[in-house]
Amino acid sequence: MAWYNTTGNESGIVLSTRVRLARNSEDYPFPARLDAGDREKVCEIVREALSDYTDEKLTYRKMSELEPYEAVSLAEKHLISPGFAYETQGRALVLSENEEVSIMLCEEDHIRIQVVLPGLALTEAWEKADKIDSVIEKKINYAFREHLGYLTQCPTNLGTGMRASVMLHLPALTGKGAMRRLSTTVAKLGLTLRGSFTDGSEGAGNIYQLSNQVTLGISEEAALQNLSSIAMQIVAQEKQARALLVKDEDFIDKIYRSWGVLRSAYKLSSRELTNLVSYVTVGACEGIIDVPSDKLIGAVIELQPATLNVSQGEKLTENQRDILRAQKVRELLG
Amino acid sequence: MICQNCKKKEATTHIKRVINGEATESHLCQSCASTLGVGNFFDDFSLNLPDIFSGFFGDSAFALGESRLDRCEKCGCCFDDIIKSGSVGCADCYEKFYRKLLPSVQRIHGKAGHAGKVPVKNTKKPEVKEKTMEEKIADLNKEMEKAVSEQNFERAAIIRDEIKKMKGEN
Ligand SMILES: [Zn+2]
Ligand SMILES: [Zn+2]
Repeated sequence: MAWYNTTGNESGIVLSTRVRLARNSEDYPFPARLDAGDREKVCEIVREALSDYTDEKLTYRKMSELEPYEAVSLAEKHLISPGFAYETQGRALVLSENEEVSIMLCEEDHIRIQVVLPGLALTEAWEKADKIDSVIEKKINYAFREHLGYLTQCPTNLGTGMRASVMLHLPALTGKGAMRRLSTTVAKLGLTLRGSFTDGSEGAGNIYQLSNQVTLGISEEAALQNLSSIAMQIVAQEKQARALLVKDEDFIDKIYRSWGVLRSAYKLSSRELTNLVSYVTVGACEGIIDVPSDKLIGAVIELQPATLNVSQGEKLTENQRDILRAQKVRELLG
Repeated sequence: MICQNCKKKEATTHIKRVINGEATESHLCQSCASTLGVGNFFDDFSLNLPDIFSGFFGDSAFALGESRLDRCEKCGCCFDDIIKSGSVGCADCYEKFYRKLLPSVQRIHGKAGHAGKVPVKNTKKPEVKEKTMEEKIADLNKEMEKAVSEQNFERAAIIRDEIKKMKGEN
């Protein structure tokens, strides 16, 4: 099951966990200094190395062979970076059947191993990424130096090359106006907090990404420990804020109105859906209303524009999508 | 609006980013924007004005054109290329331009060395890292002090000249 279709720990607050490792071959310049032909060679070498990974079935696809909307859908589901969807020459994607593992080849680095799991599961995600990394390492001569660690195209990833993040749903803290202060606080602790699902504006759907910033001079375990403990503190703060918020009748009204719109709208944009689901989810988690909030969060991901096109197997107009999206949500809420 | 970097030309590139809740705006003219590699600088790294100019690559951003002849043998990249693109060319570049990259690396990550996973191949065969220019000079300085303390001024002078030469060359 993909992360957005399952229930994880702290559901409703910690939506998913992601661990990404950046790796490069010593034998080739970094992707920005390779032409499409050489990038393809690197992709093939890694593909070959991954044939020794037998824990699960992996599929290999050249990005240039995907329909543009298929590529964008992968970015909508956070399986690849947006840039990887648009610049496809000499790039390939390795994906596991349940979409937990996605490996971008010749993105910013030769190899970007990503593991995404539902809920808060930093250790599990790291262990899986670590295992895949160890398989690749047997065949690839990694660019590594004792002092700098794994060498990466951008020096911000030097050291472990590991970026771990948790996706947090924080409607109550956002409503309280606490996000700015929180961001400043976590920055001092070597972490970054930023809006997820953004098109420029911050925190659409009250969803944020908390990730480690420093990768050199700190071990993977210590970085994960740090991230996990800060995430748990934020979760505790969100719970406290929610406990107060659900006594606020204006907020309860907002929950019921959002639920009403989801059940009866004829058209829904992706952004509107994201925001409405945020309130309804709080209502469900606090026992105010009875809705399948996990399914709704899954719908936020699966009903994004390009992903909707993929599921329909054709390119729909924006208007068609908004109608279809509203219809699917109505069906879901029965 | 006037470019915040050269303070001469009209600003045409406006960058607004929200990082950690802090909104920062930068206004640059076209040539400064492309010289500084704004736009493709660091996708997941904070980009605010102090960072562009004195941030990642430090004062070296102002030294464009200084070292175009000094290129990495493996990938052909010079340090200017690295600043402009925000991307290091290859693994060898990290050794070739170590001294120039180090202050920027330390500004993000601090001074500690790698503390995480090590590829198995590396543990079997621990590599001997070539000393950096800074380390070599530090060693020579120590040697010179020692020579002075032993009143071996002739030797101290030779070492001093050696240090001068190294600093001058790089
Ligand atoms: Zn200018
Ligand atoms: Zn190079």
